[in-house]
Amino acid sequence: MGKKIRVLVAKPGLDGHDRGALVISQALRDHGMEVIYTGLRQSPLQIAQAAIQEDVDVIGLSSLSGAHRTLFPKVIEELQKRNAEDIPVIGGGVIPSEDIPYLLEKGVKKIFTSGSSTSMLANYIQDLIDPKVETVAAPKKIAHIGIAVHSIDDALHFYTDSLGLQLEGVEVVESEGVKVAFLGIGESRFELLEPLNDESPIKIFLDKKGQGIHHIALEVDDIVARLEQLKANGLPLINEKTKEGAHGSEIAFLHPKAAGGVLFELCQYPLEVKHNEWG
Amino acid sequence: MDKKNNHLSVKEKWEKSVSDIVKRFPERKQKFTTSSNIEVERLYDSTVEKDSLGYPGEYPYTRGIQPTMYRSRFWTMRQYAGFGSAKETNMRFRYLLEQGQTGLSVAFDLPTQIGYDSDDPMSEGEVGKVGVAIDTLADMEQLLDGIPLDKVSTSMTINAPASVLLCMYIAVGEKQGVPLEKITGTIQNDILKEYIARGTYIFPPKPSMRLITNIFSFCHDYVPKFNTISISGYHIREAGSNAVQEVAFTLANGMAYVDAAIESGLQVDDFAPRLAFFFNAHNNFLEEVAKFRAARRIWAKIMKEHYQAKNPKSWKLRFHTQTGGSTLTAQQPDNNIVRVTMQALAAVLGGTQSLHTNSRDEALSLPTEESARIALRTQQIIAHESGVADTVDPLAGSYYIESLTDEIEKEVTKYLDRIKEIGGAVQAVEEGYMQREIHQNAYQIQKDIESEDEVIVGLNKFRQDEEVEPDLLKVDESLEREQVESLHSIKNNRDQQLVDKALATLKENARKEDINLIPAILDAVKAYASVGEICNVLREVFGEY
Repeated sequence: MGKKIRVLVAKPGLDGHDRGALVISQALRDHGMEVIYTGLRQSPLQIAQAAIQEDVDVIGLSSLSGAHRTLFPKVIEELQKRNAEDIPVIGGGVIPSEDIPYLLEKGVKKIFTSGSSTSMLANYIQDLIDPKVETVAAPKKIAHIGIAVHSIDDALHFYTDSLGLQLEGVEVVESEGVKVAFLGIGESRFELLEPLNDESPIKIFLDKKGQGIHHIALEVDDIVARLEQLKANGLPLINEKTKEGAHGSEIAFLHPKAAGGVLFELCQYPLEVKHNEWG
Repeated sequence: MDKKNNHLSVKEKWEKSVSDIVKRFPERKQKFTTSSNIEVERLYDSTVEKDSLGYPGEYPYTRGIQPTMYRSRFWTMRQYAGFGSAKETNMRFRYLLEQGQTGLSVAFDLPTQIGYDSDDPMSEGEVGKVGVAIDTLADMEQLLDGIPLDKVSTSMTINAPASVLLCMYIAVGEKQGVPLEKITGTIQNDILKEYIARGTYIFPPKPSMRLITNIFSFCHDYVPKFNTISISGYHIREAGSNAVQEVAFTLANGMAYVDAAIESGLQVDDFAPRLAFFFNAHNNFLEEVAKFRAARRIWAKIMKEHYQAKNPKSWKLRFHTQTGGSTLTAQQPDNNIVRVTMQALAAVLGGTQSLHTNSRDEALSLPTEESARIALRTQQIIAHESGVADTVDPLAGSYYIESLTDEIEKEVTKYLDRIKEIGGAVQAVEEGYMQREIHQNAYQIQKDIESEDEVIVGLNKFRQDEEVEPDLLKVDESLEREQVESLHSIKNNRDQQLVDKALATLKENARKEDINLIPAILDAVKAYASVGEICNVLREVFGEY
């Protein structure tokens, strides 16, 4: 880990509301950054000069008075005049969303609106300045769709007889208290999930909602890094650590409230299985 | 019944049975607390000492400052408004008065609040943005055009240049032929909370305190019905304090003004009856009700016992309330109507003298006309439909309310003692004591929200995807140019010699500490000297903070 990230938090213009600026300054410090807070009533010129003098990595502007359309672009102009436009400028405060495209067009890197969390902001700055965590690639495909059933024996004939899918195998996953039937479909699968005991999450699901789609599993390459990234972004997770799934896979569930009520599973297969299965 | 339990009271038996139940079915939280970290018990029981309560209209005013409260007259419904030009704001004022609003409240733009003219380079981008731009008396004449100053009381949110705006208001009154003793209204004029929380200061504390006591003295002699200060906890709370800190720091500031006025030679009963307060109404409903009641009782004791005020009017804490702007969410803005309703109800149950209800869209911008109307209607519904105004102090005697009122009084007193040890509010402000306390609390609130220990509906729980943005009020970008042009035309058409002479006199007087500056400011205002010109003269003498 190199030197600490240096952030200039600045209040351009006459606005005196600095609760947000102060809270963010402290939150960034708690995330290990060095924060210089300019205090109130700074002109765009003063802010640009301070940023250069203090050799900061990023400038955060806060405005609640409605003067952002004038003042944020001015800060960028003053940086340009001093050949310092490589210092990224981000902003926040009371910024109506229709003003955001205008500010981005004027060179502001990002606007954080009311309700953004401080950890999201800290991660954004971290990634912007020091992208040590490579941006994790998007999931490549749907690994399987999990369907909760009372009994695999009762449910199976629809899949095998009516749809004509191939049953690839049945496995017991002790950790989840379920028996799983795998049915291949294209490069993906259905998994029929039957509870083995009353503590099984599938049993609880069935009691609450009845039979039906339980979850969607996405195959990813680096499940540990992805979980860390999601966690750092403040996404609610059911499993913060991976656990063992079927076929020797590593799996983790995201919380349904992260995805509008849909339960997503991330899974990663050990290399040899992957080669066997997907060639 | 077994023998062992026989000696237990009914309550103890109940508690024992509950503790068994709680073992099996735990409560939602291990510990419940108010915003001020006062622990909330499962149940409150009769512990009230009735004597400390007193009766409405009687010392120590826990139950209200008037004997009949809202049975005689509702609180003043006073919506804060002001945007863009004086002309536009004048139209909004007339609209609000037609809609049944009973007092005016003026929001000024930031250049006016910090004593810059609209053409000052510092004003760029800010003219008319958060309130109305006032440069000279001509703007004030337009702002109040057609509004009879003997019938309407006006509250002006102005601090560092309060003396200038007060003089402009007086000058308009004179032109309307209203005698000075009939002019009513309020200037905020509370500079200490500007250093603590709001940021629109100009001069250092000492000359600022002088301007304030000059106003006290001038108004005592000539404008006796004007409220010369509105000592504000509102902004302290918005900056992130809790309820106890809000009351404690506000009352500490109040004591600093009283000390300064007494030191300048005034008698406490000469100015104390014109002191007014301004509080916030936040979400923790019952804590807020208790807060207002506690504040009244503490202030009465301070004025009577500490300052030995003789006039009962000096003991009464009269206050304006505004619902909490920082409690509004940009997400699902219609939910804010509900928050505002609860907060407004807390203020009314706490015995407020006047009330501003925020509009649902204020987390996004200045309110539209429709949102401002709903906010006013909220007050009217509470007043006319809910029935809560039909008896005095309706929550009194609630075990919880009385216990919280006592608890808040205790905690506030601890803070007041601490500030006294530091050397008073001015010293505490200069050392940054209150600023630090508030900031720590603000940071804790943010952490609690992010960890969901504190739930804000629509923000960290019960979120939904939103695409529709409500109509927002936008201030026209051409306004700044027009305001600057009109300022230049006034400067070109006034009697410059008269202006120069008035400003020279003001400068001379400012150098002598024992001269009251208000008459010289009034002369400068009448000569159409601008807010910026007058403040610049004072900046030269007093310096900037």
